[in-house]
Amino acid sequence: MNAPFKAPFKAPFKARAAAALADPVLKTAIDRTTGNAERKRAAALAAFPEFEAARARGQAIKDHVIAHLGHYLEMFERNATARGAQVHWAGDDAEARAIVTRICLAADARLVTRAKSMLGEEIGLPHALADAGIERVETDLAEHIIQLAGEAPSHIIWPAMHRTREQVAELFKTGHQPPPAAEDPATMVQSARRVLREKFLSADIGISGANFLVADTGATCTVTNEGNAELTTTPPRIHIVTAGIEKLVPSTAHALALLRLLVRSATGGEMTQYTTFHAGPKRPGDADGPEEMHIVLVDNGRTKMLADEFREMLRCIRCGACMNHCVVYRQIGGHAYGGTYPGPMGSVLTPVLDGLAASRDLPNACTMNGRCAEVCPVGIPIPTLLRAWRRRSWREGLEPGPVRAGIGLWAQLARRPRLYRLATRIGLPALRLFGKGGWISRLPLAGGWTDHRDLPRPAARSFMDQYRAQQKARK
Amino acid sequence: MTARDRILSAIRATLGPGKPPERIAAEAAALLEDPDAARPRLAAPELPEAFALKAAALGTTIDCIATLAEVPRAMARYLDAHGLPPRFAMQPVPELAALDWQGLAPHPAVAADEPAALGLALYGIAESGSLVIHSGPQNPILLSFLPLHHVVLLREATLLPYLEDYAARLAAQAIPRNAILITGPSGTTDIEGSYVRGAHGPGFLHVILIAG
Repeated sequence: MNAPFKAPFKAPFKARAAAALADPVLKTAIDRTTGNAERKRAAALAAFPEFEAARARGQAIKDHVIAHLGHYLEMFERNATARGAQVHWAGDDAEARAIVTRICLAADARLVTRAKSMLGEEIGLPHALADAGIERVETDLAEHIIQLAGEAPSHIIWPAMHRTREQVAELFKTGHQPPPAAEDPATMVQSARRVLREKFLSADIGISGANFLVADTGATCTVTNEGNAELTTTPPRIHIVTAGIEKLVPSTAHALALLRLLVRSATGGEMTQYTTFHAGPKRPGDADGPEEMHIVLVDNGRTKMLADEFREMLRCIRCGACMNHCVVYRQIGGHAYGGTYPGPMGSVLTPVLDGLAASRDLPNACTMNGRCAEVCPVGIPIPTLLRAWRRRSWREGLEPGPVRAGIGLWAQLARRPRLYRLATRIGLPALRLFGKGGWISRLPLAGGWTDHRDLPRPAARSFMDQYRAQQKARK
Repeated sequence: MTARDRILSAIRATLGPGKPPERIAAEAAALLEDPDAARPRLAAPELPEAFALKAAALGTTIDCIATLAEVPRAMARYLDAHGLPPRFAMQPVPELAALDWQGLAPHPAVAADEPAALGLALYGIAESGSLVIHSGPQNPILLSFLPLHHVVLLREATLLPYLEDYAARLAAQAIPRNAILITGPSGTTDIEGSYVRGAHGPGFLHVILIAG
C-alpha cells in the first residue's frame, strides 16, 4: 500500500510541524476557516435538540453496515449492475488506479473532470491520470485552487483552507485567462465559474467519489454545495465513481439520516445544496447523462481495519469536525500531518494507509483532550484508537532508542512504588535547584520543553510525602 | 483469486458466515423506527409555511400563485425584476408548453451560459426546504445546473414533511438515473470560509409555489 509516488514523509513530522508553526499566514488562514466551522456547527446543533439521538442512530446504522459488510457489498453490486453500472473491485490503491486508468485509456479520454473525493486522493488518482497523459481538471473550487498551486488538500472539507484570499488571488492571476478583475472572493469565484464551465462541457470522462453507496438501489450519492458534482457526472460520456467499501448504507432513508449528521458536523448547514443519487448510466430516452457508469469499490486497508482494533474507524463519514476542533490541527494545519487525511481521523487512518513505521509520530501528536470524540457525529472513540496505535508502536519496537530507554526506565520506577517515592524524594530538591521564583526556565536535557515555556517549580515535598504527613497529623 | 473474492473472503473470515438476509433487513428497518426522536421539528405546522421558511433562510426566493395558468405572469415578473431577457430555457413537458406564454420566449435546450431556466420539481421537502428533481426523458439534469437563474415550479400538493417521506416515495417507484435534492442556490465557502453564491450551479434559486 506504500505508493511510491506519494512520498508524503520526506521531512520528519516534527520538522513539518515546526515549519507550519513558524508560518504566521498559515495560522491566520486556519483560524479563519476552523473558527467559522466551529461556530456554525455549534449553532446548527443548538437548532437541532434531537442531535444526540440522531448521532446514536447514525452510529448504530454504521455499526449495522459494518457488521454485515459482505451482505451489503453484494447487495449493492447486484443492484448497481441491474441498473447498468459496471462494478469493479480494487484490493488496494494500485489496483484502483489501474482500473480507472484502464477505463480512461480504453475510452481514449483526453480530458477528465473530477469532483472532489478524498478516496481519489487516497488512491493517488491525480498522479495516475497525469502519468497516463490525461488532462485532469479539478472542479471543486478548493481543489481547483490547490491544483493551480500544485498542492495536496490540507482539510477534507476545505482542501484549500491553508490559503488566504490574497494567495488565491495570486494563483488566479496566472492560472485564469483573462485573470479575475478583482481580488474579492465573489469576483474570484465568478472567474473560476467561467474557466471551469468550458471544461465541464468538453470532458470525456467525469470522476466522482461517493458519500454513500445505497445497497438496496445500487445508487451512489454525492453531496456538494457548488453543483460541480452534477456538472462533472452529467455531460461526459463516462462517469466513474471511486468509493471505499465502508460507504455502504442499507437504503436511501438510512443515507438521509446520516446526511443530517454529516452536513451539520461538516459545515454547520442543515443540507448540502445538492444531494444527488446516481443509479446507473443514462436510461433509454433520458434527456442527458453518461452512456457508461463505472463504480470502483476500494478496500485499501479497510478489511484489515475490520479485522483488528480499528474497526470503529470504519464508521467515519468524513465530516472533518474532529480536525476543526483539534488543538493540534488548529496550530499546524493539514499538510504537516503528511498523509492524505489530516487531523485526528487522519492520525488513525494514515498508519493504516502508509504504515505505522512511517507515521508513528501522528498518534503521538495528540493531547488526548477528547474534543474529537465529543464532536464526532458517529461516536468514534478517536483518542482510544490513537492510544491503540501508540501501544502497537511500542510493541513493534518502532519508538527510537532514547524514547524506549526513557520510558523503560520510568516504567521500572512506576512499577515499584517504594523506589518511585525514593526517586522523587531525591529528584525534587534537585529539580528545585533550577527554579527561579515559581518557575524553571532552563533545565538540562529538557530544552524541548523549556525553550518554549517554563515549567512550574515543584513543591519541596512530593504529594505522597505531604499526604502522609497530613494523615499522621490528623491522628 | 479476484480482488472481489479476496475482499469478500477477508470480510467473511472476520465476520463469519452472516445472518439470513431477512434478519438483516429487519435490523436495518428497526434502526429507522420512531423517526421523530432523531430528526428536527418542522419550522412551522403547515407544510407550505415550513417549506417557505427553510427555503428563504437559504436564499431561495418564493412567489406564491393560485394556479398553473398564472405561471407565465409569475415568470415574467421574475425575469423583469432581475433585468433578464424574455428568452429562457424551459423543461420540455406538455403541461408547460400548453401555457399561454404571451410575450415570453421559452425554448427547450439549455445553453452553456443560459441566463434563466424554468423546470418542475417532483416534490418539495418541508423539513429542509429542498426541491426534488428526477432525471428522465423530459427532464434534462443540466437544466437545473447550467443557468444562472433557476426557477422551479412546485405544487403545494407535492410537499412532503420529512426526508424519510421522500425516501419512502422514491422506494415505491422506478429509481431514476439521478434523484436530486436541491436545497438553496449554489454556493461555496472555499475561500477563507466566506460564503459566495453561484459557484458552479445557479446563483439564484426561485420557487413558484402553486396552491391549486
